[in-house]
Amino acid sequence: MFSATRFAELSETIVQSCPLKMSDNAESPTETQKEELHSPSENSATSEEKKKIDVLLKAVGDTPIMKTKKWAVDRGRTVQSLAQFISRFLKLDANEQLFIYVHQSFAPSPDQEVGVLFDCFGSDGKLVLHYCKSQAWG
Amino acid sequence: MSCSVLDEQQFRQGCQLLLQRSDQLGDGWSWEAVQGSEEGYLRKTARRSVPSDWGPLHDQEGFSFHPQTLCDSTGHEKEEQDPAASTGSDFLSAEEQDDGSYTVTDSSSRVVQYEYHILFSCSYGAPVLYFRAFTLEGKSLALEEMWSTIHPNYRLRLQNCPLSAISQQEHPLLGQPFFFLHPCRTEEFMGLVLQAVQDQGRPVNYVLSWLSVVGPVVGLDVPLQYCTPLHSAVSLNSTKPD
Repeated sequence: MFSATRFAELSETIVQSCPLKMSDNAESPTETQKEELHSPSENSATSEEKKKIDVLLKAVGDTPIMKTKKWAVDRGRTVQSLAQFISRFLKLDANEQLFIYVHQSFAPSPDQEVGVLFDCFGSDGKLVLHYCKSQAWG
Repeated sequence: MSCSVLDEQQFRQGCQLLLQRSDQLGDGWSWEAVQGSEEGYLRKTARRSVPSDWGPLHDQEGFSFHPQTLCDSTGHEKEEQDPAASTGSDFLSAEEQDDGSYTVTDSSSRVVQYEYHILFSCSYGAPVLYFRAFTLEGKSLALEEMWSTIHPNYRLRLQNCPLSAISQQEHPLLGQPFFFLHPCRTEEFMGLVLQAVQDQGRPVNYVLSWLSVVGPVVGLDVPLQYCTPLHSAVSLNSTKPD
């Protein structure tokens, strides 16, 4: 459960330290969302939790763009779990499949842990993941 | 030519690249040539352990994939919950328990032998994944049995398709019955991905990219090592548990 103080801390962090152009359309995640994946990470040098990695989510095609693009994600979280989170966040239709890609063109196994992906494909301290919604089947 | 449509030569090139990498990794793909021609297909067999009772799963494991309805442990359907309302506690428990495993009501599982073929479809300008499955005794799986080996995450979406995404037909080259993943949407989802990559001038193996998307649906794992730099390639046999 996040305390009010923590929420304020993170809100400040979002505005001040995120290197991305979040200020255009950023808004603080709601409380429930923050319980799932922590909101944009603090400066990694001060982060207590080495077990989280920074993920940058990029939309492909006409997939809706996440208002919050940068997330601190547990290393052990699976691709599957992350895809589910993004789908819920974007309120995708049940028929729409969400794909996640590393290296822009390779879909990692749904059971793959994001920590491993970060080790293989991370650069500049973050893992860039492209996500794409599609009616892939039929 | 649209970047999302493949011609046969590009298909073969993609297959050869995939094959080279497979050889390095010990992943087991082989190229089966049609006698007297350049035509052929990639082939691989694999064994997979499938839970015997892969029914609806508890949401707490994080594996119910955007369901319209949820089934609780007694099999009763619950209304779709507002994601915003349900995420709090559900995802907290998912975080705690998410070690990549899933629960099954019955702890037993069975081993299924798969055979995967990657062929080229001229009419769709795309690779197509054909496959068949057998029990260890050599009995081939029928369509209904095959469905039970599909991970529940995918099953819902596949079954919601107006056209059957997985169906059975005669293998174009062998004339034997195989299941296959219908390629009619391949150009669509590949196009979206490839456009972004090719705008940056980065080379992409269409066949590998496509396989990484469709393979997991039918239990075919495409290891990350296909995508990682050469020098860091580790033989799969040394890391994969038996």
